[in-house]
Amino acid sequence: MYILEATKIYKSYGNKFNKQEVLKGLDIRVEKGEFVSIMGASGSGKTTLLNVLSSIDQVSQGTIKIEGKDIISMKEKQLAEFRKRHLGFIFQEYNLLDTLTVKENVLLPLSITKTAKKDAEQKFNELATELGIYEIKDKYPNEISGGQKQRTSAARAFIHEPSIIFADEPTGALDSKSASDLLNKLQKLNQKRKATIVMVTHDPVAASFSSRVIFIKDGQIYTQLIKGEETRQTFFQHIMKTQGVLGGVQNEH
Amino acid sequence: MSINQLIFRNLKKNLKNYYLYVFALMFTVALYFAFVTLQYDPSMDATKGSIKGAAAIRTASVLLIVIVTVFLLYANNIFIKRRSKEIGLLQLIGMTKGKIFRILTAENFIIYFSSLFIGVFIGFSSSKLFIMILFKITGVNAIATLTFSPNALIQTVIVFSAIYLCIMLLNYVFIKKQNILSLFKVASTTEVKKVSLLEMIIGILGIFFIIIGYYISSKLFGGDFTTMNELFLAMIFILGSVIIGTYLFYKGSVSFIFYLIRKKKDGYLNIHEVLSLSSIMFRMKSNALLLTIITTVSALAIGLLSLSYISYYSSEKSAENYVAADFALTNAEDAKHFKEALHAHHIPYSEKMIDVIHANINMKKILDTKLKELKVDPASMTLPIISDDDVEKINLSPDETLFAGYNDMMQKFMPLKSSGQIELKGRHEVIPQKYLGLQKEYYISYFFTSGGLPVAIVDEAIFDRLQKDMDMKPSVHIGIDIQDEAKIQEADEIFQKTTFSGNHDSRLAMSSNQKRSMGLSMFIVGFLGLTFLITSGCILYFKQMDESEDEKLNYTILRKLGFTQGDLLKGVQAKQAFNFGIPLIIGLFHSYFAVQSGWFLFGTELWTPMILVMLLYTALYSIFGFLSVLYYKKVIKAAL
Repeated sequence: MYILEATKIYKSYGNKFNKQEVLKGLDIRVEKGEFVSIMGASGSGKTTLLNVLSSIDQVSQGTIKIEGKDIISMKEKQLAEFRKRHLGFIFQEYNLLDTLTVKENVLLPLSITKTAKKDAEQKFNELATELGIYEIKDKYPNEISGGQKQRTSAARAFIHEPSIIFADEPTGALDSKSASDLLNKLQKLNQKRKATIVMVTHDPVAASFSSRVIFIKDGQIYTQLIKGEETRQTFFQHIMKTQGVLGGVQNEH
Repeated sequence: MSINQLIFRNLKKNLKNYYLYVFALMFTVALYFAFVTLQYDPSMDATKGSIKGAAAIRTASVLLIVIVTVFLLYANNIFIKRRSKEIGLLQLIGMTKGKIFRILTAENFIIYFSSLFIGVFIGFSSSKLFIMILFKITGVNAIATLTFSPNALIQTVIVFSAIYLCIMLLNYVFIKKQNILSLFKVASTTEVKKVSLLEMIIGILGIFFIIIGYYISSKLFGGDFTTMNELFLAMIFILGSVIIGTYLFYKGSVSFIFYLIRKKKDGYLNIHEVLSLSSIMFRMKSNALLLTIITTVSALAIGLLSLSYISYYSSEKSAENYVAADFALTNAEDAKHFKEALHAHHIPYSEKMIDVIHANINMKKILDTKLKELKVDPASMTLPIISDDDVEKINLSPDETLFAGYNDMMQKFMPLKSSGQIELKGRHEVIPQKYLGLQKEYYISYFFTSGGLPVAIVDEAIFDRLQKDMDMKPSVHIGIDIQDEAKIQEADEIFQKTTFSGNHDSRLAMSSNQKRSMGLSMFIVGFLGLTFLITSGCILYFKQMDESEDEKLNYTILRKLGFTQGDLLKGVQAKQAFNFGIPLIIGLFHSYFAVQSGWFLFGTELWTPMILVMLLYTALYSIFGFLSVLYYKKVIKAAL
């Protein structure tokens, strides 16, 4: 049973005369509980892919099913409803609301699902402790560091236990210490909560935390690597090598 | 791209963004020009009537300039801040500040002066409408003609050019003060702070000040302030306390109340609260001053409009109080002439004669003089006295006296008790009487009552006794009522043509006279009120445009998270209801208490005119609320 199933998706921008094809017949399948990274050079269509998979953007052609439900045929309102209940997001720019405290930001998705206040409280406490943001729960986003902001953003993505979490360059704006800190937390949540995560990144270190890495080039899948029983270090080496080939730069040794 | 092209591109883009600024500019120009045209129009002489009227119009036009200047400077301030990024960018690519300033000046020049001339055109075409309205409410029968006044044009252009120079000066200062870095940063200042104990105290203090102001305003003419000086000080105090209270209320109470609500929610906010509660709280501190100004201006406009409408609305009623019949005379010879004339024109009438004597009355036991400066001796006040035989439906025993027709304003300064003992003082004897109370009806005209004193009604026997004792011929009130109301106008024309030797007045002439002078002041106040309304509405709208730009990113996030446009819009509506509603409601309260404290100085009817003015103001003001919701709708739609 695939939680995410995208077949033959095409996406192009522009009009008839000046068409720019970004995605050219891509197939992607993600199983429940997987932690998948999507890598590729700038302009390879990573972010476009993530946007169409997460229903923020529409494909030109092809089908996308999440938990067996076709999201292509859904109307604007149904899509919003679907995003609210089944998807979680982590963005590069944190995307927290400045006007809300950390706690209010995290609890935002729960307000829709009409979760009882006590349950919400309990969920927040657990998650915030795991992500190490419990102490700053009453602070506003402009009073905390980038790493804390991104962990808050992650907590918001996890709180309503979505079927799948999309992360767009979550470590892009973080220093390496905060980045590995966040990735460790994501990995732990992935294992502990069996949360499915699809992450777009161009950072091999970030990708090495996942269980599978998909490389795309010019709007098509180039290859993929599966971590299997490898250590993170060797997996990282493999990713580096593949990325080198993908970028057309040969390793010197 | 050359500089000229840049200017024109900017213009095109700005016009779309700032259509309301352009609209507001045109509108203010139109209003001002129309007003000045009226000022110079020769046909206005009929309504201006006196030097007082002309002075009122001149003062109003100065006030109009002040409002318009403040408004335009504020609007410009918001718009230049919004363009700070663009200015920074131009500086970054190597343009000098002087050159940027020249570009901005040129751009503004084109927008400003084209709006100016369109505004003048609209103002010119609408001035006929205004003059027609003015004639209608002042009751002047003249035909409104449209004359273009070059004087008005010159004055308008001079005034608005001066404002333009002010705007440019401010822009120059703004650009000079900024460096590239700070220009990029303008939008990202945040103002989140925890609610402190101090803020709580400020908030409570604010409410306290407002309540004190209200309390004193209700006591203003109640007798606690006995000299003009004290009254004046009390008014200043009320004004200060209410305005400061309003400011503190916005500064402290609002965030404090919201903070409590939020605290209670303990982090679990729904989407509507996110967009209304937290967003308002986030900006409350910087908005406090603006909201205070808007509230004060609204209160001022509503208060003045109510008062002038009260006096206009009551002009017929007060004419009835002053002149006790359609036509009132005091000389039998005069009455004879007039009646003959009515006969000749076949106008049926009824006549009523009431004998009136004046005597001193000792009212020490029933009268308090509140105002020391009025110099009234309650032990011996000269009042008109009539007999109960002359008044229908009233029959008194010989030891009873009834008062009737006491002017509302006089009553405030010299209130009467509901009962007590008085003494009628003749030349030789003093007749003790029991005072029964006060009736609302007016039986005789103002010639007898010194403008507002009550008339004492006594038993026929007492009346005769007093008259004999005083040994003088009573004066007589002759009231002539026209039976057919349609003919009053015609009768009035005859009345005006007849020459009389004694006191005489016509109720119709009095009421139209009153209407004329009140109508002019109502027109001027209405004009100013409209300007107040439009400028404050526009300022709030601009402010909301500004906020929506800042919050656009939030809408993007929320829509990505799966909130629909409808969800967001509901929150925004709540926010707008607050942003526009709170200043309005508080303004309404302020003006209610202001009107309440002194309305009797202006007329006889309080509720109908005041409520009408308030409803109209609210309706017009709400338009700006709706406009800003529409603007938000556009922003939200474009957010994803």
